[in-house]
Amino acid sequence: MAVTSTSQPRPPAAVWRRPLSALASGGAPLISFAFVLGIWTIVSLLKIVPETIFPSPWSVWFATIEMWQNGTMPNDLRVSLGRAAIGFAIGASLGVLLGLMTGRVAIVRTLLNPFLNLLRPIPAIALVPVAIVWFGIGEGSKYFVVSYTVFLTVWFNTHHGMQYVPGTYLRAARSLGASKLREFVTVIIPAAAPHIFAGIRLGVALAFLSLIAAELSGASSGLGFRLQEARQYIRTDRMFSLLIILGILGATVDYVVHRIGQKLVHWEQGQ
Amino acid sequence: MSDQPNVGRVQIDDVVIRFATKQGEMTALDRTRLVLEPGTFTALIGPSGCGKSTLMNAIAGFVTPSEGRLSLDGTPITGPSNDVGVIFQQYALFPWFTALGNVRFGLKQLGLSKAEEIDRARAALDEVGLSAHADKYPQQLSGGMKQRVAIARTFVVGPKVLLMDEPFGALDAQTRISMHSLLMGVWQKHRATVLFVTHDVDEALLLADDVRVMSQAPGRMIRHYNLTEPRPRAFSRSGPNLLEIREEILGLLRPDEDLIAT
Repeated sequence: MAVTSTSQPRPPAAVWRRPLSALASGGAPLISFAFVLGIWTIVSLLKIVPETIFPSPWSVWFATIEMWQNGTMPNDLRVSLGRAAIGFAIGASLGVLLGLMTGRVAIVRTLLNPFLNLLRPIPAIALVPVAIVWFGIGEGSKYFVVSYTVFLTVWFNTHHGMQYVPGTYLRAARSLGASKLREFVTVIIPAAAPHIFAGIRLGVALAFLSLIAAELSGASSGLGFRLQEARQYIRTDRMFSLLIILGILGATVDYVVHRIGQKLVHWEQGQ
Repeated sequence: MSDQPNVGRVQIDDVVIRFATKQGEMTALDRTRLVLEPGTFTALIGPSGCGKSTLMNAIAGFVTPSEGRLSLDGTPITGPSNDVGVIFQQYALFPWFTALGNVRFGLKQLGLSKAEEIDRARAALDEVGLSAHADKYPQQLSGGMKQRVAIARTFVVGPKVLLMDEPFGALDAQTRISMHSLLMGVWQKHRATVLFVTHDVDEALLLADDVRVMSQAPGRMIRHYNLTEPRPRAFSRSGPNLLEIREEILGLLRPDEDLIAT
């Protein structure tokens, strides 16, 4: 009955949502990148837009080489990744810890949840001025903004996961004689783990987002600072280079975290 | 493990269980007085929502009665413990542990050496015919296999009482029959007092020493049958007695047609 159909088997929809995970298996996304690069090349060759406004692929490439050779790029990468990592580590561990507490301890939940939920809609960038007043333009303000943003997301997801621990797991654990502590460690935490990991993955993405926000205003190094600096000299080629690197960086880290999550919460993948 | 015919006596004294709902208080279980004698197998049967699971949850210590008193061997039941094992319809296996890991879960509290813990867990899986699947995760097992892991996990800690809430309700007829003989085998070896909640009359008559029938909500005990037919039972060779009881119970359970219509 499908004789007339010429459609080929289509890749699962998830491929389009997670381009880099498919790229790793040598998939269709390469075609997408090549396609966009092709259009970009054509637009540049036709000189529809001035080079200073919309740089060509090759000038972006040369700007990258230039920044790499004069040492700013390796240094900015190191500085930014370090800030993101430290901020993320602080925020994620606090988030998981407090999420476990608000998830299980009624008094902590009553005291903190309404307040934390009020904080969640405040965008990270709005915190930058406060962070600068409190911590100056050094590392402190970056750690603060990143860890704060990561913390709220990880806390929220962890808390949420704790709410959805199936009651029968707890009943089963108790009727098998598990102590409160063992029930917590070997039943409640694993049951909430898929949510906790979803929060951590979101947290990683937000760590980059909030870091760049913090570096754009009030920093003397880092990828965000370099973007701002490029604006002052109207170096769109450098901006594009930095933006692409941010994209690749974010997607790679996301992919790695996703794979680690799949390994750690392996039971969620099973049918 | 050992035959201890004098432990596992469950006494239910004038227990009433009410729940608060939006419409006010609802009686889930009407005043009930019942004794489960050590080592007996009781099937509890009744229409949906009659409170049979509520009674079971109370014996398990998951629900506190509004009135009356529940005790096991004279000690009041105040909460869940490993003296009272529970088998759930939805298995409740932990998906992050293998079959073996699930069985080991209950053994952890005994303070055994790791080797002994694994040995015991393997023996328990062997008893339910799953030694070959010890390292599989629950999601890799069929429904019948999952329930067998759950049975092994519960029996391995040596409960005095075993509560089963429609344990085979989610299984197909063929698997059910093999689960019945498996359960009988394991039970006759370990001799816990069993309370088996079901709404399958045939299952109740094939397995139990005592069949207790409950009324529609709010539930109370309306009929008791003591079955002495030797096991394994089958309707074809048990004479007319089982079939008569079966008809009678079906009559009791037959829903009120007028109520259905509304």
